[in-house]
Amino acid sequence: MTYKPVSRKAPARVEFPIRRTLPCLILLIACSAMLAQNPGASPAAAGGSSVRATHILGLQGVSKSAGGNLSIEGDALKFQKTEGAAAQVPISSIQDVSLGVEDRQVGGVPLAVGRAATPYAGGRVIGLFSHKKYDTLTLEYLDADGGLHGAIFEISKGQAEGFKDALVAKGAHVKVEGQTAAASTPEVKK
Amino acid sequence: MKTNKLLFAAFMLTAFLAYSLSMSAQAANPKSGKSSGAPQWSVQVDKVDPGDVILESAFRVAIYENLLDEMAKTKRFKQVFRSGDHHAADVPDLLILKTTVQKYTAGSETRRTVTTVSGATKLKVSSQLTTKDGKVVLEKVVDGNVRFFGGNLRATHNLAHNIGTQIKESTLPPPNPATAEGSIERTMEASAGSVSTSEMDVR
Repeated sequence: MTYKPVSRKAPARVEFPIRRTLPCLILLIACSAMLAQNPGASPAAAGGSSVRATHILGLQGVSKSAGGNLSIEGDALKFQKTEGAAAQVPISSIQDVSLGVEDRQVGGVPLAVGRAATPYAGGRVIGLFSHKKYDTLTLEYLDADGGLHGAIFEISKGQAEGFKDALVAKGAHVKVEGQTAAASTPEVKK
Repeated sequence: MKTNKLLFAAFMLTAFLAYSLSMSAQAANPKSGKSSGAPQWSVQVDKVDPGDVILESAFRVAIYENLLDEMAKTKRFKQVFRSGDHHAADVPDLLILKTTVQKYTAGSETRRTVTTVSGATKLKVSSQLTTKDGKVVLEKVVDGNVRFFGGNLRATHNLAHNIGTQIKESTLPPPNPATAEGSIERTMEASAGSVSTSEMDVR
């Protein structure tokens, strides 16, 4: 009795790219969805006078995108970087505090590369799941020479309102309210 | 085989010649706008005026802060002052940079990622350099957009960078008040890609 050798790989060759990319795609979507969750939001921090924040720009002596802890200590607003020195702003010098809502993609460069490398436009599907909403806290304050400064912080969604209230209670001035709706304005022309 | 070697050598020689020619051309045309020991203006960056446009405060503040950075980077000014700085009052040769928002289109990073063609954040501002007594020295309309990569606030960085580039490439009148009434450059339309500049004398 003779047996003819039969190649088992031959029929599977057509399905190979799909078999290989589908698990990768599912894994990427799952990872991005997990990243889009809100790990920093703790119920204790919400509405309190200390929140986790990312400095976007404006604070003297603090680099852009620096992570840290934003807190009210005495009569000053303090941003303590995760590693490094702290920066302080006297609350009495704050001229305006305003809130906003932004939406951004998570995962940084690694996920962006993953999205670009995903075949069959799978990166777009990942993009649908890998975004996160966050609050922005914008401060305008004066320095000792009277110069106007502006600082923007990114705070986990839902925490900025309580922090703003705490700042106002400590004596920070507020000029305008309710400008967060501007984000949804489609187009405004002069 | 020998022909291939000859072709390769000829290609390398051509590439070397082209490179050396481009380098010498760059050396012959130094960048305009660099200070040459002449008296310099100082600049005070004014608060961003949102005009009639509803603009989030984060954008307004980001434009202001990015403008301060970019003005320092141009190296056209002796000192850069913030709005309201008391020291600016004592400076004789001071220009004030006024920025008024003309148009703002809110974008979305997610829409940009998913669709590529939509979701762009667009900003268009009128930027004026004026003297203390309100004389307009330079006026330009500048865009700052984010079309593909980056967050929405990146539009403010691009906008400030474009304003800085415009100022760097412009000819400012000398700070001496006697000659300051010379040429006033006025550009009605200038965008990131194409810049049109026209000069006119104001007496």
